[in-house]
Amino acid sequence: MATIVAAAMTSHAPNITATPAAAPEQRGHFLAGLAEMRKRLAAARPDVVVMFVNDHVQNFFYDNLPAFCVGVGARHWAPRGAADFLKIPSRQLPGAVDFGKALLKAGLDAGFDLAVSHELEFWDDVSVPAHFLMPEGTLPIVPVLTNCVAPPLPTPQRSWQLGGFVRRFIDARPVGERVALLGTGGISHWIGVPNTGHINPEWDRWVLDQVRDGHGEALAELSFDDIERDGGNGGQEIRNWIAVLGALPGVKGEVLTYEPVKEWLTGCGAAWMQL
Amino acid sequence: MSDYALNQVLYAKAREHKMIESIGADEVAGYDLSAEERAALADGDLDALFRLGANPYLIRRVFRRRFAL
Repeated sequence: MATIVAAAMTSHAPNITATPAAAPEQRGHFLAGLAEMRKRLAAARPDVVVMFVNDHVQNFFYDNLPAFCVGVGARHWAPRGAADFLKIPSRQLPGAVDFGKALLKAGLDAGFDLAVSHELEFWDDVSVPAHFLMPEGTLPIVPVLTNCVAPPLPTPQRSWQLGGFVRRFIDARPVGERVALLGTGGISHWIGVPNTGHINPEWDRWVLDQVRDGHGEALAELSFDDIERDGGNGGQEIRNWIAVLGALPGVKGEVLTYEPVKEWLTGCGAAWMQL
Repeated sequence: MSDYALNQVLYAKAREHKMIESIGADEVAGYDLSAEERAALADGDLDALFRLGANPYLIRRVFRRRFAL
């Protein structure tokens, strides 16, 4: 069977790289947290990283908008069209085709009606975390996307269940890969809405407390309205964290960093799960 | 007219990776938009676009320069 050898969550935001001169002190603190995460991830020697992420209406539009989708391509753009804006050179990260296709099939068999994509283009969702955590670009990734940006959205409870399914898939996998789980997004941010730029550090710290204490269920019990009120529309991305937590019920986390960065319009946290 | 058409306009612009201030009438010919939707696009009116059902991420991507932050 395959094994989960690492699990972590981090915020993503385009301005982390797009405006590198902004908020130097907070940027230093946050990137120190990601540097620690990178070190631990490398030490865990994963063969593949399952990345729970979300589209930002670059791959999926209202003409065809999956609630959940697994990327099975041999390569994933991270970034392509957003490269100039993100100030990250365009590149492709390797995919894990067999793993991804097996995950897709197992999902459908288990009642998780995943959509599938053979070609995905990522923005800050994958590109920014990968820039800091996997700069070599050699580690294969399997993106599992959840609609967090175009309501109606799948429930947080379903993301928790999705994580549980991925855990069972890994446990049952006949190939003995070392698997890392990485969720990106959140924590609170209001983006593109009338109060764009608002951050709620109080809610962010509550979220991080639940991660620290192994209380992922508390996040899974949130409703869309709870999150919209306390975490903003960007806070809906917390589903990607909840999926990781759903794979590891009861496991406690270590908060590596938290900075509510006004210039990034995001309450930025990163946490490492203590397997 | 529908918020679908409004989002179609924004999506097409977003894919051009340009940050703009407004989307004029000549650029939305053929889209089934209301007068209010056309005005919101022409004015780059962030609040009106949101109220009319434009996706916030598309509003942000296209009209980024109009945001204070």
